[in-house]
Amino acid sequence: MSEEYINELLDSLPLSFCFVNPLGVIVNANNPLQNLTGYLTTEMVGKNIDVLFFEKEEIEIFKKEISESQEKIEKEMTLLAKDKRKILIRVIASGQRDKKGNFNGYFLIFSEIKGKEEFQKELEKEVKQKTKALKESSLALLNILDDVEQSRLLAEREKNKTLAVIENFPEGLLFFNKENKLTSVNFKIQEIFGIKKKKLILGKKTPDLLNKYPSFTPLIKFLGEDEVKTTHRKELELKKDLILEVSVIPVVSKQEKLGTLVILRNITREKIVERLKSEFVSIAAHQLRTPLSSIKWVLKMILDGDLGSLTQEQRIFLEKTYKGNEKMIRLINDLLNVTKIEEGRIVYRLQEEDIIKIIKEVMDVFKEQSIIQNKNLKFEFIKPEEEKIIVQADREKLFLAFQNLIDNAFHYTPIGGNIKVVVKHLKDEGMVLTSIQDSGIGIPEEQQKRVFTRFFRATNTIKENVEGTGLGLFIAKNIIESHDGKIWFESKENQGSSFYFSLPVKKII
Amino acid sequence: MAKKILLIEDEELIRNLLEKKLKMEGYEAFVVENGVKGLEKIKEIKPDLILLDIVMPQKGGFEVMEEMQKDDEMKSIPVIIISNSGQPVELDRAKELGAKDWLIKTEFDPQEVLEKIKRQI
Repeated sequence: MSEEYINELLDSLPLSFCFVNPLGVIVNANNPLQNLTGYLTTEMVGKNIDVLFFEKEEIEIFKKEISESQEKIEKEMTLLAKDKRKILIRVIASGQRDKKGNFNGYFLIFSEIKGKEEFQKELEKEVKQKTKALKESSLALLNILDDVEQSRLLAEREKNKTLAVIENFPEGLLFFNKENKLTSVNFKIQEIFGIKKKKLILGKKTPDLLNKYPSFTPLIKFLGEDEVKTTHRKELELKKDLILEVSVIPVVSKQEKLGTLVILRNITREKIVERLKSEFVSIAAHQLRTPLSSIKWVLKMILDGDLGSLTQEQRIFLEKTYKGNEKMIRLINDLLNVTKIEEGRIVYRLQEEDIIKIIKEVMDVFKEQSIIQNKNLKFEFIKPEEEKIIVQADREKLFLAFQNLIDNAFHYTPIGGNIKVVVKHLKDEGMVLTSIQDSGIGIPEEQQKRVFTRFFRATNTIKENVEGTGLGLFIAKNIIESHDGKIWFESKENQGSSFYFSLPVKKII
Repeated sequence: MAKKILLIEDEELIRNLLEKKLKMEGYEAFVVENGVKGLEKIKEIKPDLILLDIVMPQKGGFEVMEEMQKDDEMKSIPVIIISNSGQPVELDRAKELGAKDWLIKTEFDPQEVLEKIKRQI
């Protein structure tokens, strides 16, 4: 084969190649390599092969490997084109030796890794995108961390604020955990109990507090020595001149009991004011009673004709005056009773009393009054089968309670109306039930909740000009409840009211 | 002979009224305005019954009864308390000191006082 033919063949091959002598100088290069590198063959021939590669150091190693190797060597390298473009290529080197094994040079065959380049670009693009996404994610993460930190700061600030509120709360706060250990208190507690440092008492259980800190003794005894019991607004005289209102609330979160919160409110001042008010009312009432009783007696004697006969006109005026005086006496008695109830000064002396007899006595008085006052009320008393129903009662107080109930029925029932009193033995419950039903003006529904409170007067009673102090039912309720009884009512405006009270039965005769 | 009733009471109006009422009823009525004079009068006239107020200047009703208890003769005279109040503790004290009855002025009238006297003598 002639050399010319070979050259032609090489030039027509699609592969780029060149032949390099042992010194690394390009001896020959075909057309495809011209196209790939941008160099003319004439420019390449005579130049060192290094010219075609970007990795100068690697090519030195590569050349050495080729001279020493008996086999083909394949490598990925970067071709440096004439216009300085970098082209990723696969190079296959094939060393040429003569029959004696002397190294004569080598062929280099270049094949462009086109796909690879694009792949690389894609990869780079993807990497860039991923990097961008990653950057964004990390920024987002930083933002989240920032938010979390801010939330934490906010929460901490809120917590500090809450703690500050608790610390400076004007009422004493104690928190006992589930094990009845005192876990937190505020400054007010230190003040009330004279504790210099909180840590002295924190973590202590109720019996420890009871034994080691005498100032706590009354409170712990009040709360319960082994377990803190729930209470609502109960009074405790911790020491002289220090009266507390104690509320104990279970603290529950998601149906789990966390512990108990004890709230102590200093009500000493209120109590003093209340006491002074009561004392004032009490003294004023006593002072008023003396002249009122004198007036009563004088009028009674005049009306009885003890001081000479009266004209009809004189009699009418005096009778009205007498009634007015009686009303004042009644009001003052009511006020005295209320102050006694408020101060807890009412002393009950319970004895066995027949409730039927007490009720009958009160009713007789009112029947007579109804006739005297021309009210013509129809009184009906439905007695039980039993002859006597004995209850443990303070006769006078029970008399007063029932009198107040009948008095209301009497006053709030118009002329010609009905009043029905029923006494019934509830055998199964061991109670005696008394009901007082009237056909009176009734209590407006929206006011019914306040019926048993002090000075309550329904708006319609004021409209109808019915007199009353607004104390009778308050007194009645307190008396009935002090007899372990219950009192309640049903009422419809313009139809009438029914009041009920039940008392435990001692025995039946 | 008419029965002697002694009224020891500081309220003038009540004194005058009861005195009149008692006399009208045919009793021999004596009135004094405090406990000191009351005790003197008891010794002097030896009444059949005493109507006694509790709150009075100088010497109150309870003190009068305490002194009466120390004297065998005075001890036997029935006493009815007439008072403006009627606290259970006061009633107990009066019973201890031998009072026969107790009436609260605002709850009673002169006619009823007479009925209470009649129940005693």
